[in-house]
Amino acid sequence: MTVATTTRGELRATLVILAPSKALTTAAVAAGATALGSAVALIAVSAWLISRAAQHPSIVVLSVAVVAVRALGVSRGVFRYLERLTSHDVALRCMVRLREQLYRRLAAADRSVVAGLRQGDLMARVGADVDLVGDVLVRGLLPFAVASVVCGAGVALLAVVLPGAGAILGCCLLVAFGLAPWLAGVAASRAHQVADETAGELSALARELLDHATELTIVGRVEQRLAGAARAEASRARALDDAARPAAWSAALSTAAMGAAVVACLYVGAAAVAGDRLAPVMLAVVTLTPLAMVEVVGPLPAAAAAIVRARLAAQRLRPLLYPTPQASSPPAACSGAVEADLHPGALSAHDVSCAWPGRRPAVTGVTVEVVPGQVLAITGPSGGGKSTLLRTLAGLLTPAEGSVSLAGTPLVAIEPHALRRLVTMTAEDAHVFTTTLRDNLLVARGKATDPELTAALERAGLRVWLEGLRDGLATALEPSTMSGGERRRLLLARAFLVGSRVLLLDEPAEHLDAAAAAEQMDELVSYARTEQVAVVVITHDPDALTRADRVLLVADGYAVSSRPDQLAVTGPAGAVPHHLSSA
Amino acid sequence: MRPARRYITLTSAVGIGVGALVVAQALLLADVIAAVFAGADVTSKDRELGLLTGVVAARVALAWVQERYGERAATAVIADLRHRVLAHAVALGPTFLRSDQRSGVTTLVTAGLENLRPYLSRYLPQLLLTAVVTPALLLVVALHDLLSAVIIAITLPLVPIFMALVGWMTQKNAMLRLASMQRLSAQVLDLLAGLPTLVALGREQGPATRVRELGEAHRRATNTTLRTAFLSSMVLELLTTLSVALVAVSVGLRLLSGSLDLRTALVVLILAPEVYLPLRQVGTQFHASTDGLAALDQAFGVLGRPLPPVGTQLAPDLRTAIIEVRNLVVRHDGRQYAAPDGVDLTLLPGTVTAVIGPSGCGKSTLAEVVLRLRTADEGSVDVIDHDGRRTALADIEAGSWLNQTAWLGQSPVLVPGSIRDNTVLFAGHIPDAELEVAARASGLAEVVAGLPEGWDTCLGSGGLGLSAGQGQRLALTRVLLTDAALVVLDEPSAHLDRAAETVVREAISALSEAGRTVLLIAHRPALAAAADHVVSLALPSTAQPSAAEVPVADARATAGAGA
Repeated sequence: MTVATTTRGELRATLVILAPSKALTTAAVAAGATALGSAVALIAVSAWLISRAAQHPSIVVLSVAVVAVRALGVSRGVFRYLERLTSHDVALRCMVRLREQLYRRLAAADRSVVAGLRQGDLMARVGADVDLVGDVLVRGLLPFAVASVVCGAGVALLAVVLPGAGAILGCCLLVAFGLAPWLAGVAASRAHQVADETAGELSALARELLDHATELTIVGRVEQRLAGAARAEASRARALDDAARPAAWSAALSTAAMGAAVVACLYVGAAAVAGDRLAPVMLAVVTLTPLAMVEVVGPLPAAAAAIVRARLAAQRLRPLLYPTPQASSPPAACSGAVEADLHPGALSAHDVSCAWPGRRPAVTGVTVEVVPGQVLAITGPSGGGKSTLLRTLAGLLTPAEGSVSLAGTPLVAIEPHALRRLVTMTAEDAHVFTTTLRDNLLVARGKATDPELTAALERAGLRVWLEGLRDGLATALEPSTMSGGERRRLLLARAFLVGSRVLLLDEPAEHLDAAAAAEQMDELVSYARTEQVAVVVITHDPDALTRADRVLLVADGYAVSSRPDQLAVTGPAGAVPHHLSSA
Repeated sequence: MRPARRYITLTSAVGIGVGALVVAQALLLADVIAAVFAGADVTSKDRELGLLTGVVAARVALAWVQERYGERAATAVIADLRHRVLAHAVALGPTFLRSDQRSGVTTLVTAGLENLRPYLSRYLPQLLLTAVVTPALLLVVALHDLLSAVIIAITLPLVPIFMALVGWMTQKNAMLRLASMQRLSAQVLDLLAGLPTLVALGREQGPATRVRELGEAHRRATNTTLRTAFLSSMVLELLTTLSVALVAVSVGLRLLSGSLDLRTALVVLILAPEVYLPLRQVGTQFHASTDGLAALDQAFGVLGRPLPPVGTQLAPDLRTAIIEVRNLVVRHDGRQYAAPDGVDLTLLPGTVTAVIGPSGCGKSTLAEVVLRLRTADEGSVDVIDHDGRRTALADIEAGSWLNQTAWLGQSPVLVPGSIRDNTVLFAGHIPDAELEVAARASGLAEVVAGLPEGWDTCLGSGGLGLSAGQGQRLALTRVLLTDAALVVLDEPSAHLDRAAETVVREAISALSEAGRTVLLIAHRPALAAAADHVVSLALPSTAQPSAAEVPVADARATAGAGA
């Protein structure tokens, strides 16, 4: 059970964050134990009632037992209801705390941790993992706590009646309470490992078939790919089957232990009755109590599996809950640089090399200045390092060499929070929230008025789109149904609203046709002029380029700044290579 | 569905076996207890104790089998279903794959179908047991004590009735709350997903409180839902346990009056909870089953869609055939207008025809119809061979048509392997010289030259990714390596700069010179200039183009409309 043992600490560390309320948890365990105890007691008392009745005593002797049996019949349902309500409440409170902590810790974490979240299904997985960890109380720990109370009481009761029977039940419960759930946990952890290893391959094959159905159909390879997927599926099935073996033994072991307890108790009980060590009326009690205990230990293998799954989930959440502290947090002394000192001023880069931490520089030797009121367009072939440069100019990446400064103050010396309000970058993959259009814009500036929001949308070219929305700014956005162009323009509107001194935009014109891209560039130029904002924009569109005040060509790791008219001279088709060779 | 049938058979057999063993165990236990109670020596009951041990052993074996093979069969059923859904979805083609159902199908085959596991391995067996074992056990009880059987028989149907009643009363409320719960939960995840954006805007601190507030609201909403949702399970527990208590008291009192013997009473007491057990399990597993049922519904929803007709006639030689599209109309689910809406197009052998128009006007749809991947709602697509014989495209056998076509889309299939392997993925063995020629024509050679290990650079998982533009050059190389007579290029320069666009234009000319028929979907007017004919599609006047999708107003491009 290697996976489970190494992750035991993870779950405990997560439980510290969950901080389940002691009072509520105790209440839930008490209610659960009463409910399950009622079920066992119902059978035990009934067994006594029947046996005693068979001796034909006066009805008065039985009346207490009759009332008790009826009461136990009711109490089980009622207490189970209370247990479920209480335990779910505890779990939900824990999940609220876990989510909030996750958010707070991520917000304070290094940006690479957060950026990694956007990859693939990771986000959906985080949601599922939080649920799994939150569930551990209801599905994992609580059943064990409740079962231990009821089992303890059951063994104690039998030990008082007949020590031998108590000992037998105790031993059998050790197997059903310990060994069988442990095996189920092993199976769950193995199955998880197999599923984890193979799910990626299966998903990849399925996605390939669905994403590239047209291409595969035309080249006649659909059958071949389906056969490949079927082979992967078959080998996964074999691996899952192997992994599930301990689960079968767990089920067998649990059944065997409880079956043995019943038969052995019957045997010992019968012998004790013959030896006058046990009253005959108690024989049915001694035999049927272990039989009723089946219901107590039955859910434990599933509970153990839930605990293992929660552990693995906690392990995955760990890097998010305990992220490395932000590496580039500036010294406190530097945070004195406030907005007033920096206004007005140009964003300038001097001999800057930009690189992602630990990688080769994508672009080197960039020297460029953008003054308020002007637009700098960055262009160049795909993969040339344009986005890396933009992030560096925004202060989101520390330059590998050289420095970027705003009005003479190096960006690294500006308190990050203040910097975000002065220099705003809209990433290519910036998020559109599943909420109203208004809230999506207010993210940029909380105090913006509706007319300001509308103006920003119009400026971003979304006037017609806005008019077409039934609820206007109150329309609930569904990011997945927005077109690429709409999304880009919404992000642009958001960037306008921040009201920062420097605006950096990563391909706002992607998904737009040539005419719309040129129109957008005109709007950016007019925005820069009227608001006296320095604008840096990545674009591929040749017509849009000619409208910028200055163009920065980024190719082959170098950047060359030029006037747009010089760029146009070399002709639209060969612009990039020509210019670089002449530089 | 063979795996499913095998699964049901196995589960039923195990269920019946378990039922029989439960009865045997009850009879043997009651026998021994009653005998010893009456003063018999335990050694006289050795046979019964031996049998009892045998019953326990058999139950152990069945528990093992149920767990072992139940899980295995569930895996097989899921695998089978996944395979069939995938095959069917691909066979349905772009009509289905480009609709809004698409993301649902991806989720279904990658994750959703796994939800069937608890349904198959836990819920379904219990449901079968309820149907088989419950009546059988009730019959055994009736044979021993009719009154107890009557009590059970009366309360038994009350369980589903009350559960349904409670469920029906709370359902509407619960559904509303469930929806709000899911929304709240999604909002928190949405905030997490948007964290990089919030950080970039310097507003990451504010929403922490919002996360808590949303969480608290979520908790309160959930608690209210659960208060009613758990009522139905309380009814279940209450009725089943109370009935056992009623049976116990009833047999106890009748024992007292002497109208019943201890053995019978014990049999009834042991069996009474067992009668309710499968039903109780169904109740507890019901929750796990709903996701599985939803997945099953969705899977059958896909499988139930009729496949497009397969033609029977062999395709004529496309090197000499004319493809004639007349008044083509294709309507789309969930869209107000048809796109294309009445287009005419004639593809002459060896010519280049460009289709231009704003996003959403149906350019790609038109290409899919010509490729025989999609059927038209109105109009006709005919193929006229060099003898002038006219055949409707729908009557032509798909394989013989696709054999003669090549297509370039937005992102080509990439498999883990070298860039060479990927380029010749569908072409088989290609001499290096031929590969170089194609790569030079497509501009891929330039990409390869810039890679550290050239043609041997690894792509795909664990290797290098290609940018959109590089991927398109690879796709173009693949197309150039085929000898397809009809080549459909869907925006071949979408991610390329002007220099690369020139390369593409030259490659198109080369294709045309080699006698291939080219259908070119172009976004940029510059590329359309390379065509012999240009067909301009427009959005119908009823369709409000969004501001982000302004039609290209370019006189040059529309000048050569029609063929």
